[in-house]
Amino acid sequence: MRLALGLALLLSMTPMIGEPPVPFPDLAPLEKEVGEQLAAAQQRLTALASAAGPRAQGLAAAYGDLGMLYHAYGLREPAEACYRNAARLAPGDSRWPHALGLLLQEGGRLDEAAAAFERALRLQGTDVAALVHRGEIARLQGRSEEAEDWLRKALAVDPSCAAARAILGQTALDRRDFTAAVKRLEAALAAVPEANRLHYLLAQAYRGLGEPAKAQEHLAKAGQVGVRPADPFADEIEALRTGERVRLARARTAYQNGRYGEAAALYRTVVADRPDRVEARINLAATLVQLGDRAAAVAELKEALRRDPASPTAHFNLGTLLALEGPSAEAREHLAAAAAALPQDAEAHRALAEILRNSGRPEEALAEYARAVAIDPADERARLGEAETLVRLERYQPARERLEEGLRVLPRHGLLTHGLARLLAACPDRSLRDGARARDLAFAVWQAQPTAGHAETVALANAETGDCAEAARWQRIALEAAGSLPGKIQEMKARLATYEKRAPCRP
Amino acid sequence: MADACRLRSRTASALLAGLLLAAPARPAPQPAFVDRAAEWGLAFRYDNGATGQLYYPEIVGGGAALFDYDNDGDLDVFFVQGAVLEPGKAAAHPIAPAGGRLFRNDLIVNGVRHDKPRFVDVTEASGIKALGYGMGVAAGDFDNDGWVDLYVLNFGSNQLWHNNGDGTFSDVTRAAGADDPRMSLSAATADLDRDGWLDLYVADYVDFAIDHNVLCYAQSSRRDYCGPSSFPPVPARLLHNRGNGTFEDASQKAGIAAKPGRGMGVVAADFDGDGLPDVFVANDGMENFLWKNHGHLTFEETALPAGVAVNADGKVQANMGIAAGDFDDDGDLDLFVTHLDGETNTLWVNLGGGTFEDRTLQAGLAAPSLPFTGFGTAWIDYDDDGRLDLLAVNGAVRLIDAQAQRGDPFPYAQTHQMFHNAGNGRFADVSREMGEAFQRAEVGRGAAFGDVDDDGDTDVLIVAANGPARLLVNETGSRNPWLGLRLVGQPPGAKGERDMLGALVEVVRKGAPPLRRRAATDGSYASASDPRVLVGLGDAAEVTDVRVTWPDGRIEIFPPPPLRAYTKLVQGTGRIPSPPASPRP
Repeated sequence: MRLALGLALLLSMTPMIGEPPVPFPDLAPLEKEVGEQLAAAQQRLTALASAAGPRAQGLAAAYGDLGMLYHAYGLREPAEACYRNAARLAPGDSRWPHALGLLLQEGGRLDEAAAAFERALRLQGTDVAALVHRGEIARLQGRSEEAEDWLRKALAVDPSCAAARAILGQTALDRRDFTAAVKRLEAALAAVPEANRLHYLLAQAYRGLGEPAKAQEHLAKAGQVGVRPADPFADEIEALRTGERVRLARARTAYQNGRYGEAAALYRTVVADRPDRVEARINLAATLVQLGDRAAAVAELKEALRRDPASPTAHFNLGTLLALEGPSAEAREHLAAAAAALPQDAEAHRALAEILRNSGRPEEALAEYARAVAIDPADERARLGEAETLVRLERYQPARERLEEGLRVLPRHGLLTHGLARLLAACPDRSLRDGARARDLAFAVWQAQPTAGHAETVALANAETGDCAEAARWQRIALEAAGSLPGKIQEMKARLATYEKRAPCRP
Repeated sequence: MADACRLRSRTASALLAGLLLAAPARPAPQPAFVDRAAEWGLAFRYDNGATGQLYYPEIVGGGAALFDYDNDGDLDVFFVQGAVLEPGKAAAHPIAPAGGRLFRNDLIVNGVRHDKPRFVDVTEASGIKALGYGMGVAAGDFDNDGWVDLYVLNFGSNQLWHNNGDGTFSDVTRAAGADDPRMSLSAATADLDRDGWLDLYVADYVDFAIDHNVLCYAQSSRRDYCGPSSFPPVPARLLHNRGNGTFEDASQKAGIAAKPGRGMGVVAADFDGDGLPDVFVANDGMENFLWKNHGHLTFEETALPAGVAVNADGKVQANMGIAAGDFDDDGDLDLFVTHLDGETNTLWVNLGGGTFEDRTLQAGLAAPSLPFTGFGTAWIDYDDDGRLDLLAVNGAVRLIDAQAQRGDPFPYAQTHQMFHNAGNGRFADVSREMGEAFQRAEVGRGAAFGDVDDDGDTDVLIVAANGPARLLVNETGSRNPWLGLRLVGQPPGAKGERDMLGALVEVVRKGAPPLRRRAATDGSYASASDPRVLVGLGDAAEVTDVRVTWPDGRIEIFPPPPLRAYTKLVQGTGRIPSPPASPRP
């Protein structure tokens, strides 16, 4: 490493003969593995540059390869110099102007990026990715018609190019041609249904068409998954990135996308190289939980805490995992440690509250719930837990007050609405009941989420109003929705029998 | 044929060269803006206290206020200051000057106007000890005594400095119940419930703690500051002014506590034309909030259906500074929000009734903003041509590797930008014509806007992280005719006149559309601007009347004020417009 770095620094002061010099950045502040990777590529280039004989093609590739590496690590200035030299030495190779176009587009230098992509397209007219990028750039420059020309060319080469269709939808929207926008965006969405960001665009288009209901429908489905233009060359550049942090980032992406096996393998490589990387170990444990190996996860977390006894995340995760086996003292201790270390973390206080409640320490639980709500008034679960704990303590009036207050702060939130409906339908203190309101609330929850439990609450509320027939009907709906839940079914059937008797059936 | 073309081309070049040689030498164009901070005594450097730990607050502060604290008619300046966050390192990294600084403008002394401003640091005499980690500042007369108070936003507890009216301030934070211990960057000062008392919407940022610092890295694998997603969002705080010197935390009651955000910029203004000030919050790395005011301090978050939560592509952006103004003269407030490099700044055009459409691309504002990270911003008519232009103060938050390679200790510098409003919905990047101040790279953050030298054009006060503050003095705007208006009133129970923040002015002109401007100190980033309204008139300077819609909803008509001067319009002294004639049956 030292030898390679020494050479690199020397080279930066020695311009190459024939080609403009490329800056060789200082690699010392970079991660060791990254620095070594870059230094090796720099050495290859140096060796080729100083070799005698015909060298243009080999040297072009060496410049291009080094440019791609710099590019991968966001070192734009040297990457640009490398790409330009590569293109100069191999003027017939479309890869280097394409790569330069990507680099310049990323840096917001759109005019130069457009010129680079056009050079690439002159060399390879069927480069769909370059056509799409060129269209993207024209759109960003406010030239929607020109953008559409480029994108249509992309579709002529590859009619399945979803990115081109999506951007065409956007250009129609830019021109306020809402009818065309709907048509194009619907086509793009059909090709890539997971691209939920297109729903936002469709919502805008339907709003423009004066169809608010459809606009609202799409807004409700809108998310942040877009259509990325397929670009094998960009993928190749991204794949060059190496090092612990890249592995961690890739593992995180794999985890977020549900590829838990891949995530676990990546985390394991990091932990194997650096056993002291507590964060990686914690994330490995989280991944193992997703893979169903809870015991291994507990072991990793215990190891993480052995190495960093203060790690609040390790305490929180271990406490949460252990609590799944029951409210043990060990679980409680870990959750208490997490809450103490994270005084502003509502989730930590709520988790501690839950285990305290389940350990038969309701007063302490109430204090923790209150802390969670104070930190994050939007913590619906904490608000519900607080009310449930009050119910367990037979403090029904304060429980109802907490739920009502929760719904004022978080109107129409399902957990709180359902909790209040349940209390109003079946509160042991009958003076607090309000069957009609319970029915309205429970029905609203059922409409939003038709589950067995929600149907059962509608049934309870109807029973409270004295409408036993309706209660029975809803209990049947609940039973149907429940399918076969052993234990629960018997209880539900018994309640149905009570309703069917049509005698007073108040719960 | 080819040869002929070439010959023609050569001939044309030769002719052109001859013309150029023959042309008389022209004087160098005068720069539109000149930095006169040092010349006028405004020596200040915002020091973020960085010691290499890369604590998150270091990359997002600071701001400044342009306000007339001594009521002498000119704009004074308050800067917030950073501090060393790393425990035990303060002695090794002394910050000079420490704490926020107050500078008095001596443009006008004892009623006598001098030819240019001169600033004097009066911090010690003022009694202000703003020694927290300063992020931003808001200004407003919270107790209606006729003297503007200051609200200093910190990483940690905020401070409310009461203006005693004798050149001194008192820290009344605790007594007033105005603290907010979270990391706050910007606050909007507005009478949200129209009771005559200014309330505060404090846009809190993220849940960050020194002892839970997160290590983040640049794409190169070099250590760098984190992005906002590394830290949980937090709810904002709405401080309701009870009118008795105290504030009530109305965040829960108002409904805003239910939605944690990463607020960087905030503006309180009536976006839907119902007469009530709504609140727009620019959230970093998440959807923006548009809190629709339903009255009685109840709000509903409507950004997504209103079209301002995300950009035209449906993408969540890193939303930072805000400008709210009627740039297209259609009678409603449009929004411009600055963003991260790689994203575009965004122009949301109000379609009427508080529904917006992102027209960044069509306006020509997308491409020029891509390489820059914008913070402070405002709609200013820098050339007084009657059209609102845009200024963006830039500075990166992600390490610029080329600068780091050159050994820059704080490698985040970028240049600022000015976009000229062409009047047809499009803007042109005219930064190169603005002078050296727009060619110099620095780490721009907060910016306050106002006419510091009272010459009828808008000047810009820029706070740069780890760099000198800049006072960009507008040298060209007042060549066109202009109107300066200070909108004041005395709400019931008030002891003095105060600026009626939230008032809307409509300048009615002969043969040209009316110009609508808003009296406000909020918006931009982490800063408070001149509450006076400056209206450039361009070539349509015949004003027939001035209509003011006051924050309480009343409308008054004032006769045309004199041009090229500031005029105070006092609520209740104008003419009440006649109601529209009833239609005949």
